[in-house]
Formats: sequence, C-alpha cells, structure tokens
Amino acid sequence: MKRLKSVLLALAALAAASTSSLADVTVLGWPGGPEEAGLRKAAEAYNGTAAADDKVKLIFFNREGFWDKLQADLAAGSTEFDINLLATYAIGKYAPFMEPITLPASAKDVFGEKTLTTMQYDGKQYGVPTDLSMHFMYYRKDLIEKLLTDKDWQAKYAEISEKYLGKKLTPVDPDKWTWDDWAATALFFTKAVNPESPVRYGTVLQMKNLLFNMMVFGSLPRSYGANWTDASGNVTVDSPAYRTALELYKKLYDAGATPKDSLSYEFAETNAALGSGQAATALQWNAAAADLNDATKSPAIAGKIEAVAPPAGPDGRFTHIHGLGFGLNKASTHKDSALKFLDWLATADAMEIYAKAGGSPAVSDAITAKLPERPDLAKLGAFANAYGFVMNGATSANALSVYEAQAKAFTGYWAGTLTLDAALAQAQADMTKLLK
Amino acid sequence: MEIADRRIPYLLVTPLTAFLLALLAVPLAIDLVYSVSRVTFETLRAPRLIGLGNFVAVIQDAGFWQALWFSLKFAVAASVAQLVLGLFLAVFLAPLLKKVPWLMALLMLPMMLAPALVGLMYRLVLHEFVGVVPYYLYLYTGDSPAFLDAANAFRTLVTIEVLQWTPFALLILYSAYAGISDDVREAAAIDGAGALKILRHIDLPLMLPTIVITFFFRFIDSFRVFDNVYVLTGSGAGGSTTTISIFIYEAFFRRNDIGFAVAASLIFLALSFLVLIGLLRLGRRHA
Repeated sequence: MKRLKSVLLALAALAAASTSSLADVTVLGWPGGPEEAGLRKAAEAYNGTAAADDKVKLIFFNREGFWDKLQADLAAGSTEFDINLLATYAIGKYAPFMEPITLPASAKDVFGEKTLTTMQYDGKQYGVPTDLSMHFMYYRKDLIEKLLTDKDWQAKYAEISEKYLGKKLTPVDPDKWTWDDWAATALFFTKAVNPESPVRYGTVLQMKNLLFNMMVFGSLPRSYGANWTDASGNVTVDSPAYRTALELYKKLYDAGATPKDSLSYEFAETNAALGSGQAATALQWNAAAADLNDATKSPAIAGKIEAVAPPAGPDGRFTHIHGLGFGLNKASTHKDSALKFLDWLATADAMEIYAKAGGSPAVSDAITAKLPERPDLAKLGAFANAYGFVMNGATSANALSVYEAQAKAFTGYWAGTLTLDAALAQAQADMTKLLK
Repeated sequence: MEIADRRIPYLLVTPLTAFLLALLAVPLAIDLVYSVSRVTFETLRAPRLIGLGNFVAVIQDAGFWQALWFSLKFAVAASVAQLVLGLFLAVFLAPLLKKVPWLMALLMLPMMLAPALVGLMYRLVLHEFVGVVPYYLYLYTGDSPAFLDAANAFRTLVTIEVLQWTPFALLILYSAYAGISDDVREAAAIDGAGALKILRHIDLPLMLPTIVITFFFRFIDSFRVFDNVYVLTGSGAGGSTTTISIFIYEAFFRRNDIGFAVAASLIFLALSFLVLIGLLRLGRRHA
C-alpha cells in the first residue's frame, strides 16, 4: 500500500511538472551563432525573475533550410513554439501566420525608429529587432597604410587603374573610397594584375547563386541610384545603375581580383579567404568583424583588419540592412506570457545582456556606452542610421524570391552563361511577376 | 470457426494496409488535388482548382527541362562511372577480399556518411585557402583550378558522387563475382582460357543480371540527387547545377508555388517510370 502511494505521488508530481512545462513560453531561435549565445543568456536572466507560468524555454532548428522549415511549421499552425525568429526580408512571407504586436513606448529609445522599421510590415510591428545585419568594407590596414605612403606603389596603382578602369587614380583613405577607388585597390593587390602584390587577391566577392549574396551585392547598385521598383511600383532592375554594378563585379572576377571559386562563395568562404591573409579587402557581413580580429580564429590577420561603411557611388554611400528579431506565432497557445517576454526583450536591460553574450542589436548610444567590449555595436547603429537602406518591395511576401531571381540571373552573367542584356531581361521579367 | 480463420489473414494485413494508406495513399491523393490547384502556404487548406494549368506551365518551363537534362546527364555519368569502377575493384580486389574480408567494411565507409555531410566536407577540401587539394596543387604546380565554377562544377559533382557511392557498386558486384563457382573458372582454365577470356566469357555474362540491377539502383539514386549538390553549389551559377529535385524544392519552398512544384514532381515521377521501364526491358533483353 505504501509503495502504491509513493507511485501515485510520483505520478502526481510528474503530471504537475509536465503541466507547468506546458505553460512555458517556447521560443524558436536562430541556432549555432552569437545570436543563440545571446538568447540563452537573455532567457536565463528573464527566467530568474519571471513567474512560473511565464518562464521561457528555447528550441533551435538547424540553420540549413531554417526558413523553409519555419514556413512549413507556421503554415501548418504549429503550436510547438510561441515566439519565433523573424527577418526583415521574410516578414511579408510570414505575416499571415503571425500576430502584430505593440511594443512599449520605451522601445523607440532603445532601438531608434529606423531599426524598429526592420520588423514592420504593412505599417504594423511584427517583432523585436534583436540583431541588425549590414555590410562592412573590411580591409588590411597594413597594406593600405603602405599604399598611402609608398611612391612606387602609388605609381603602379595609377598605371593599373588607367589600364583597367580608364582613369588614373591615386590611393585614398578607405573611409573616402568610391567604388572605383575600391576596384583600383582590389586590382592593385591582385597577383594576376600586379605580380608584386604581397597578397594573392585584391578582394573576395561572394558570387554564389544565393539570395544572401544579392544583399551583399545590392549596396553597390544602390549607390548608383538603383532600386527594385520606382514610386509607381514598376520594376526598375534593367537600369544603368545595375548595369554598372554588374559590370564592375564581372571586370574584377575576369581580372582575377577575387578567388577563382568566388562563384561558389558565401559568408564562410569569404571569411576563410580573408582570414588566410591572402586578400586585401572584402565586402562582408558585420557578423564577421569579431572573428576576423580574433587571434585564435584568424591568426594571419588579427589586429590588421579595419572596417568602414561600403564605398560611395554617385548617389551616395549605402549599406543593405536587415534585422533579425522575435515575433508572436498566431497559433501560440500562450500569447499573454509570450507578449510579456517580448516586452521585456525590448528593454535596455535585456539588450545589454543580449549584446554582452554576443548578439548584435542596433541600440542607442546610451546602451553601447555600457558595452566597451563591443566597439562594433557603436559602428552598427551609426552606419545603419547614416547609410542603411531597404529596397522598395524588399519586405513584400515575395522578397526572398526576388533575391533568388536576381541571384540566378546575375550569377549567370558573371559565370559567362548569360549576356548582360539577357541577365537583366531575365531579372526584370521574374521580378515583374513576383512584385506585381 | 472456419469463417473466423478466413478473417485472420485480413486482420493481419490491416495494420500494414492502414499504415500504407495513411503514409502513401493520403499524401498522394492530396498531391493530386494540389497538382490541379493554385495553392500556396497561405492556402494549403483551401486550394483553388484550376485544371491542368500547372502541368502546362511545367511543360512550358525551360528551367524544368534544363534541370531534367542536368539530372539525366549527372545520373548517367555518375552511375556508369560507379559501375565501371566498382566492377574493376570487385575483380581486382577479389583475391585480397577473400583473404581479408573485413577490408570490405573499411571500403564501405564513404557510403555510410550522409550526402549533405559529404557535400560540406568537400566544400572545405576544395576551398582554395583551407582545402587540402588546392593546397598541394599550389605547392607543386603553383596553381589550382576553380573546382566549383560553372565550367568545372559538373565534373566535380560527378566525381564526388562516384567517390561516395562506388563502394555500394563494389559490394554488390563483389558478392556476385564471389558467388561464381571456382570450378567453372578452373574448367575454363584447363581448356586453355586466359584471365581476360574467363572474365569476358564467364564472369561478366554470369554477373550481368547483377550489373543491370546495380546500374538501376545507382541511376535512380543519382537521378534524384539533392543533398550534396545543394550543399556544394546550390543551383549553381545561373542555375547551371539545378537538379530536378532542387528545381522542385525551390518552386515549392522558395517560390511558394506549391501546385506547380507538385505537378513538376508528378511529371518527373512519370518520366522516371518510363525511363526505368525502358532500362529494365533493355536489361532483360541483354540478360
């Protein structure tokens, strides 16, 4: 009898425990990077003070195919998670399965208006912007310093720029680069062009047929005045701006200024190339900053890498921005508790914890001042406000498909399987279908 | 009692039938509905019937035929290479494998890896700055080719597929080769036949049914290849390495055109069926 009682008590305890775990808010996060580390710390801090029914637990998919799996789960009305990851370029796609939220008024002071808009769709807020992604122009300080002072190098630089770009240029400080200055520098530091170059390649271009690479590339045509659509909604990809930008990439690729396998390069390959010490510059995601200057991860270049905003074109200086954040699953069965966590996540305290653990939020100066170990965050906020852009239509339901259509057409041109006219016509036709 | 006995077989097959109906027939029925509907992730539960429009769109889509052609080329090149290499290894290594049978377990290792993992591994191995192959090529020749650019991607992908799956061909073909009685070979040798003659007139004819089956297996697997190609090159520069599976995946998930994707997969299924029937007949005639 005693044994039976103990078994029953144990079962009751188990049932109580499972009920309490059912009441937890489940958060689906971005796995395997600083974002996961940041979210874990933030959740730990939140759970320390939250009521039993409001505590959060975290789950993570694999990064490979993450957005496709999320789409399938959301469309199926999954209740396995209450809060899910969200990205600017996918908001339109997921908005039908998510619930708009209202953040506390103080969120504006924490993030700023521009950063909050990265989580908005159709005028409604769909998430808390926990990470901001943009592009930095990374360059080797040691090489550029020598180029700015060495007369022989400058003479060679002028000769190369005249031969390849049709104009005699003199080296300038990277923070004042135009795209032509950058191209001339890339060509100068290319062994195939300048056998005296101390490195093999002048730059590393991410040219794989991959939607994210179109985000990296987009800052170049944008600075020549490009946009996906005009004010009336007509697709404007077949434009002189895109033409100039595509030709510049092809010129550098054909000249050997970027690794031969660049047509299969994305984030990781670019980091490896730059980290090997065999490349002088690279337009790369801000998330690479910490690794490139880490002596254990990039011993060949740590301490020699500097980052500035992407170069300027005739229309100014631009960097693509998009946010990662967290929003509310429409099918959630714990909406009230989930909203409490999202409200907390939008506070200065939460973002301080998140950033300290590795996250990259674009937050106010008051918060970055408390994070001396993260100097890149100050740059992030400043660049986002000064140079950040989102193309017209880039938060629409088909934004991801637009990037994919561009990637397919543009990489075809760079690989030589399509002419420039054919690539632009193909992109124009596909985008018109997708953005109608 | 007799009636009850007669019911037993039906009762026994009921769970399996229910399982198959739930896992195969129901999805197939849904697929058939989707293939004649305009349907996206937003309208999964309310597809709008549009007739055969999706099938017409697939047939008129140049990308579909381009992807199908790539898959066919890939499957033929990879499965022929695996077959030839597997056959050579089965015959060449037969004496050794007879003495050291556990060697086969070592030779099987590549096919025990997940294809996506193999893709990731080769992304590293072939990378100019961290890869072993380019490192030694630079060291000894001063240059290294772009293994994954539009010009070389096909060859590289086929080579990787062959390296991973030749052990499968080796395993089956070696079993067939080892199954041939030594008496037959000895009799031929006594009659004056040399090694090549024995191979040509005894071993190969007796192994032919197995060779045909091995080719089928490898052809089917390579024809629907997805993981390692997707991880290594995606759909390739300008779509140059889009296999039919990648084409369907992208239409489904990326373009959110589910009706089109399902119609494409049904056409692919029908075409594969036709190809297989043709190959089977060819194999039977030769066997």
